[in-house]
Amino acid sequence: MRRYNKPARIAAIALAASIVVAACGSSSSKTTSTPSSTSPSTAKNGGTVTLLMGTAPDSLDPGMGYTTQAAEPDWLAYTGLTTYAHANGSAGGQVIPGLATALPAITDGGKTYSVTLRKGLLFSNGKPVKASDFTYTVERAIKIPWGGSGQFITAQIAGATAYSTGKAKTISGITTNDATGQITIHLNSAYGAFDNVLAFPSLGLVPTGTPFTNEPNNPPPGVGPYMITNVVPNASFSLVRNPKWTSMNIPGIPAGHVDINAKISSNIDANTLSVLNNSADIFDWADTIPGSLLPQLKSQASDRFSQVDLGGSTYYIFMNQKAKPFSSQLAREAVVTGLSQPAMNRLGSGTLAYGCYFLPPAIIGHPSGTACPYGDPASGGDIAKAKQLVTQSGMAGTPVTVWSETRQPRQAWMTYYTSFLNQIGFKATQKVIADATFFTTIGNLKLNPQTGFADWNQDFPNPVDFYLLLSGAAILPTNNQNFGQVDDPFINAQVNKLGAVPTSQLSSVAGQWQALDEYTAKKAYVAVFGYQTFPKFTSTRINYGAAIFHPVYGWDWSSFQLK
Amino acid sequence: MATTSATGTEFSGETAALLAEGEGLPPGIGPWALAWRRLRRNKTALAFGGLFILIVVVCLLAPVYSHAIAHIGPADETYLSKPFNVKTQEFAVSPTGIPIGPTWHSRFFLGADANGRDVAVRLLYGGRNSLEIGFVATMITMVLALILGVWSGYFRGISDGVINRFLDIIWAYPAVLLGVTLGTVLAVGGIGPLHGTALLVPAIVIGIVYIPYVAKPVRGQVLTLREREFVDAARQQGLSHARIMFSEILPNLASTIIVFFPLILANAILLEAALTYLGAGVQPPNASWGTMISDGISTIPAAFHNVLVPGIMLVLCVLSINVFGDGLRDALDPRAKVRIAH
Repeated sequence: MRRYNKPARIAAIALAASIVVAACGSSSSKTTSTPSSTSPSTAKNGGTVTLLMGTAPDSLDPGMGYTTQAAEPDWLAYTGLTTYAHANGSAGGQVIPGLATALPAITDGGKTYSVTLRKGLLFSNGKPVKASDFTYTVERAIKIPWGGSGQFITAQIAGATAYSTGKAKTISGITTNDATGQITIHLNSAYGAFDNVLAFPSLGLVPTGTPFTNEPNNPPPGVGPYMITNVVPNASFSLVRNPKWTSMNIPGIPAGHVDINAKISSNIDANTLSVLNNSADIFDWADTIPGSLLPQLKSQASDRFSQVDLGGSTYYIFMNQKAKPFSSQLAREAVVTGLSQPAMNRLGSGTLAYGCYFLPPAIIGHPSGTACPYGDPASGGDIAKAKQLVTQSGMAGTPVTVWSETRQPRQAWMTYYTSFLNQIGFKATQKVIADATFFTTIGNLKLNPQTGFADWNQDFPNPVDFYLLLSGAAILPTNNQNFGQVDDPFINAQVNKLGAVPTSQLSSVAGQWQALDEYTAKKAYVAVFGYQTFPKFTSTRINYGAAIFHPVYGWDWSSFQLK
Repeated sequence: MATTSATGTEFSGETAALLAEGEGLPPGIGPWALAWRRLRRNKTALAFGGLFILIVVVCLLAPVYSHAIAHIGPADETYLSKPFNVKTQEFAVSPTGIPIGPTWHSRFFLGADANGRDVAVRLLYGGRNSLEIGFVATMITMVLALILGVWSGYFRGISDGVINRFLDIIWAYPAVLLGVTLGTVLAVGGIGPLHGTALLVPAIVIGIVYIPYVAKPVRGQVLTLREREFVDAARQQGLSHARIMFSEILPNLASTIIVFFPLILANAILLEAALTYLGAGVQPPNASWGTMISDGISTIPAAFHNVLVPGIMLVLCVLSINVFGDGLRDALDPRAKVRIAH
């Protein structure tokens, strides 16, 4: 999903360093700590922490939200039939039962998923949860529409397409029994990552009757350890502990320790200083620490600050295949050949890892050890060759609009990219859009954006999650995530074939995913400019070692504890 | 004794005696000459006026500085990816994103910004843009405000009421808030054939925002002027309304126009900087003093020159216009109480 952070290796480091032992006789949460942290023996409950976010969530309504800033709170307020383990590193990528009693039983060659809803579940407003609420939730996500609905719902669930086009009154592929709690989902074809799809907050159950409209300022009730309250648009919201959660006793999903006030503040410098000076508690890991403040953090806050190697995110520039100049492969190759990743890295305060492949290093299929087809990314780009390619393409002088967010360093990256495009022979101008509306703006096909900033963090540890961005089936008229409108028959066929392989068997098709990623790089469908590392940074009030950096959702807010 | 005047009129008695006395005196000084004499005596105003002219000239010479001295353009980010000093292998921006400070060499004389661009070059090009927007916005304000103010003051009645309500609506919004609203909306869609990144967009926005600040005082003056006998005489002679407004009323507003011009210019330049800082004015990668300040905020702890340099230029420019404008007002009408209220 957009702008997420997954530390692939921190769990191993933390476990090797020290292990926190639960106090005897009291309920406790298992914690891991980094080498520099002090660890309590029991979890401390109570209190409120302040989290600063540089960008507002696109929507707190789970039926709409599809950025990291939205998923961070939604994950804890809207539990799906499955969910993820609350752990650091790769352990956090493990799918566990959520509102279902067990992981789905998969039959019919991978096309039928069956679960039973736990008994005694209540929404945060006290209303009992029924099996049919799942069908309603899925229908709502289609109608709003949720940005992932094209790839994960209508493309996968039988009858979902007919429902979305108005040809059916309900989704025929989902059958439920409120009396027994049984939910059966029939897919169009086997889809190996469907367990992960069920874990999306957007498929976290909401009550039947919730309006089929985006409700960002008054999100619907859900089932989870937290509830979202006090929403002030683009300013703040609160995540308060759900008093009904503990009684439902769902294993693997702990109750939270503190309430969280999330404040939206686009001044990243001020946010950094606030956390450094303990006037706020958590720095959102989706933001970038300004380079000018890094020395200060390293000297004053080394016990509560670290840059975490994601391994699960890719930063790239999309190039619209359906519009000039990037309908020409030579024009795209010019960008990939000439763009300087060291320059982009400087603008990002040195937090990027170089690379050219769409799959990031932690995802199976990433072509490790294979040379990049258009030169070493660390070399700084070949401007002369890029100019030559532009001339050869016949696209020299084409006006190009570069789309960019306002926040740094993304705007700085796109300013540099605009300057680079002008240098190699295009007539580029930059258009800057407010962060909260950037992806929905460029996701509107009517606008037909030519090129601009994009990023992706793994929704789940499966390469198909990345290739949804390059699959023809994912092109939607609104909330489109395939910004470049890539529609390559080979990619489409491979995604359909390899996407049916369950996550547990991915290693058997690793070579094929690698071949696909190398093909994509050669076609220059996107211009990858690095894999981001992210800041894990808190105030002195927070138990740093106990705070979980989740591979799918970033900060696990339910793991925050005061010392 | 009788005296004959130049027109052949004969005077006698006291009048003839007075005329005879005056024949030896030097001719009287006209109002414009008197104003110029007052202004000449105000050394401070002249000094700041000269400073403003110097700023304008230097900014106009931005291409000369860029090509002949710095050898780098205002949006050139080449030295992000290669060293600008081959001997020392120094880059304009460090690997952790900190730009270099003033080098006192021809290139990066005042240092680099976070994007590796030459601050001195951007300062001059930014000055051109800021001044251009300021001038165009001021012209838009003055022209539209004069039309609306003269029309409503002269005709009164329904048109006066309508125009006044329109001005009140604009005036009710704080200038910055109105500017940000209009600027944000127009930055994406543009205005008609103008795309959102055109410099004319913020100029139009600022020009509209300041209309009431000029139109209202002008209207007040016209309400007085229309009752004067020379306007009455023009009516009696059968001149059209347009002719009366243009040839009788407008010349009497000349001093007001001249006094308002620098005041609006100073405020327009300030508002442009504020709008651009808030993201609703000049769009990147175009330079303006506002964008430079906005871009430089994030590097203050390590490279405060990125904020200090455009800030000082902005202060000097606005101060020089304001001081010169004050001197001009004192010279043209020492009793005037013309102010821009915020």
